[in-house]
Amino acid sequence: MYNEIKNILIFKTDIATAEARHCAGKILDAHMLIHHWNVDLDDEDCVLRIVSAELTPQDVISTINNCGFFCEELAG
Amino acid sequence: MRIRNVDKEQLVKQTAIQMLVADGFEGFSVNKLARACNISVGTLYIYYKDKDDLITRIAIEQGEAMHEATLKNFDPEMHFAEGLKVQWQNRYNYMMTEPYAMLLFEQLRSSTYHEKVIGPMSMHFKEVMGRFVNNAVNRGEINQMPLEVYWSLAFAPLYSLIRFHKEGMSLAAKPFGMTDEILWQTFGLVVKALKIN
Repeated sequence: MYNEIKNILIFKTDIATAEARHCAGKILDAHMLIHHWNVDLDDEDCVLRIVSAELTPQDVISTINNCGFFCEELAG
Repeated sequence: MRIRNVDKEQLVKQTAIQMLVADGFEGFSVNKLARACNISVGTLYIYYKDKDDLITRIAIEQGEAMHEATLKNFDPEMHFAEGLKVQWQNRYNYMMTEPYAMLLFEQLRSSTYHEKVIGPMSMHFKEVMGRFVNNAVNRGEINQMPLEVYWSLAFAPLYSLIRFHKEGMSLAAKPFGMTDEILWQTFGLVVKALKIN
């Protein structure tokens, strides 16, 4: 299974609404190196979970910042 | 590489169940669970996609554990009274040793998670239970009846008694504690109601 734990990156964001998620989703869906992503809108940290074997946390932070959202890695 | 810690995994599951029972599904969040377990929220999201995924997977696992406990020493080829007695003993033991399980399942029944959890639950369990009832009907031990009628007679009395016991009172706030005598007296009446001879 591709979804190996070593390939999972976790971030605190301010993607707090379905609209904001849709907005960020357009970029994340189109990203060739992101295998899967989701945002937990039920959590106070609006946690973004990325599955990617190639991206670094900084790559994801830059991508999310460029969408206009805050993004900070959460230690696993 | 991150390595799973089995003790921590168990702590997370047990704490999650207790929090879900105490605060309900709406009041629950992965962050709150992480704080209660004294682990980083990032660690929890490694193993669970989000709140829904966590609740669904823990509930399914809890359901499977209940099914496994319910089938202990049980054989669908058993005669009706004998098999039902094993069922009563197993269900009673499980509910007494897993005090949060019954409450969690009751909450699930009235939640949006119900379908997600019930769907994947053990087909094996349903098949074994169905075979036991069919055998009893084919042997002429009980009459054919709708599943709901069967369950209401065969198991609802047991769960009523367990509920009285957990609440410490029965009707009109009368103090109540379960005893073996009450358990098996009720069982005897259930068998009498269901069995043809």
